[in-house]
Parts: sequence; structure tokens; C-alpha cells
Amino acid sequence: MILHTLNASPSSSAFEDCLKTIAEGDAIVLMGDGVYAAIAHTEVSRVLEDTGAALYVIADDAMAAGVLNISAAVSSIDISGFVVLTETFPLQQAWY
Amino acid sequence: MLSANAFDKEGFLIELTDWNPGVAAQIAASENLELGAAHWEIINLLREYYLTYDSTPAMRALVKYCALSLGPEKGKSIYLMSLFPGSPAKLGSKISGLPKPDNCL
Amino acid sequence: MTAVTKKTILIVLRHSPYGSGLAKAALNTALASAAFDQSLDLLFMGNGVLQLQPDQDGRVKGVKDVGRQLASLPLYDINHVYVDAQAVERYNMDLSKSPVEIRRLDGPEIRQLMICYDHLLGF
Repeated sequence: MILHTLNASPSSSAFEDCLKTIAEGDAIVLMGDGVYAAIAHTEVSRVLEDTGAALYVIADDAMAAGVLNISAAVSSIDISGFVVLTETFPLQQAWY
Repeated sequence: MLSANAFDKEGFLIELTDWNPGVAAQIAASENLELGAAHWEIINLLREYYLTYDSTPAMRALVKYCALSLGPEKGKSIYLMSLFPGSPAKLGSKISGLPKPDNCL
Repeated sequence: MTAVTKKTILIVLRHSPYGSGLAKAALNTALASAAFDQSLDLLFMGNGVLQLQPDQDGRVKGVKDVGRQLASLPLYDINHVYVDAQAVERYNMDLSKSPVEIRRLDGPEIRQLMICYDHLLGF
């Protein structure tokens, strides 16, 4: 199981490469420009939901970007929530 | 003889194009080393490495490159240590006019 | 000396050779880790495959040539290099002249490869 951190917008190659490696049981944390993938009712958010991975967004990053209509499938977490995730997953991959 | 300001504070040549065999002897002398045929064999190899791989080898790569080019007897760290005491990758590169290796292990 | 447990590392290279400092940083990390006797392999994904472009010469621009430096990997006992087959196809690359020996992987194989390691380092 891999914890993916995605810090790039949905049109980036980082996003594309990340999608290629995700499997069910993984988790994705959207941060920085990655928060735009959390916007509800978008094609991108549906693509993420279809991966079967657990989805998270860093609350402050989403707020800073004005991303308030977050998809219901995405959980907002703070940095301590992120730390808990890093302790749960043996592997972590940064996409940026 | 090149003047002192042709070198950085660790004694590495600043302009790689300044290098010639006389400069090698000058750098070696400043390290209390006299160059013989065995030294030159390694110096030539180091310069060839730099042209091929656009980098200065760390010890591990230098040992392996010597083994591949000169045979297993010379591809040993103890052999390189006997020619360039202390840190062969670093000292050898310095005398060969190459940039300082990123790490010397 | 106490024995150090060896962890396996996969370095994931995703950026073009001269567009940023990331290719250089990845290479430095790989060579320094190898010098410390760590066990590591390389995976070139997406735009990272461009680092393997055979006829590149960064020296023309006055920078270190990434291809030439990659060719030295076997001298650091880094022998397993994998590429994203889809990216290679996208750029119509001929890897027969690649500076290192490589193995092509499709999407699911990339995933399988990644989970075999203790650590993933993305550049």
C-alpha cells in the first residue's frame, strides 16, 4: 500500500503519473496545487474516486486556494492528520 | 608553473583547460608526491573517465573502472591507496586536473 | 563496526534532464547512496524518460551531460533501470542506444515494481 502525496494540478504530468500507479487500498493526500483535484462534481474528482484509494486534502491548502466545495469522497485533514497517515503506510511517494 | 590563483583553496584547478602534464607534476609536488609511470596510468584513466561520463568518479566507481580497464590487480583500493595516499579519488582527481568529486567514499 | 540493515530504495525520476535541477539532484542522490553501499534501482516515468535521450549533450549549454553521467551508473553497481513504456512511446524514443541497459514496464508493472521497495524517492 502506498501513500501518495500529490502536489500538482490535475492537468500536470505528475497527476497523470500518479494515477498510473494507484491501486485500491492506497491513500492520496492532495496538497498545494493538488487541492484543485478535490473540487466536487468534476471529471477529475470522479477519476480519483474510481481509483478506490482513500482521498484526503490538506484543509489549509484547500482554504488558501478557495477550494470550498470539496467532493464528499475527500476527507479534510490537518498536518497532524497527515502525520498519522505517514505512520500507517509503509511506503510514500511524492508527486510534484 | 601556474600561479596560486589558478587553484581553489583546496588546491583543485579552477580552469580545467589549464591542465597539462607539467601542471600535474606541480600539483603532485605540492602534495609531496613524485609521479611515476604507475601514477600516469591512473591519471590518464581518470581523465578518460571524465570525458566519458562528464563527472569525477567516487572511490567505488574509480576502483571498478580501473578493474575493467587495467585488470583486477590494479582495480583494488589498496593499490590506488599506495599511489595516491589518503583519498585516492580526491587526490588523483586533483592531480588529473578534474573537479573535486562530490563524495570521496 | 555494527552491521547496518540495508533498505532497498527506488528512485523515481519524472522530470526532463535540463528543465530543472531535479534530474541532477536525483543523480547526486543515486550516486551518493551507492557510495554508501545502499541498494537502489531507478525508474524513469513520464517526462523522466527524456533523461535517456541518446544523442543529448548538455555540455553544449555549459552544463553537465545527464546522459553521460547516467552511463556511469553500472560503475556504482546500479544495474537495474526501469522505464515507463508508455512515456517512451509518447516521445517515439529509440532506446537501443540508451546510455544504460533498461527494462520497459507498463502501468500495472510499474505499480508492482514500486511496492517491492522499502523506500520511494521521487524527483
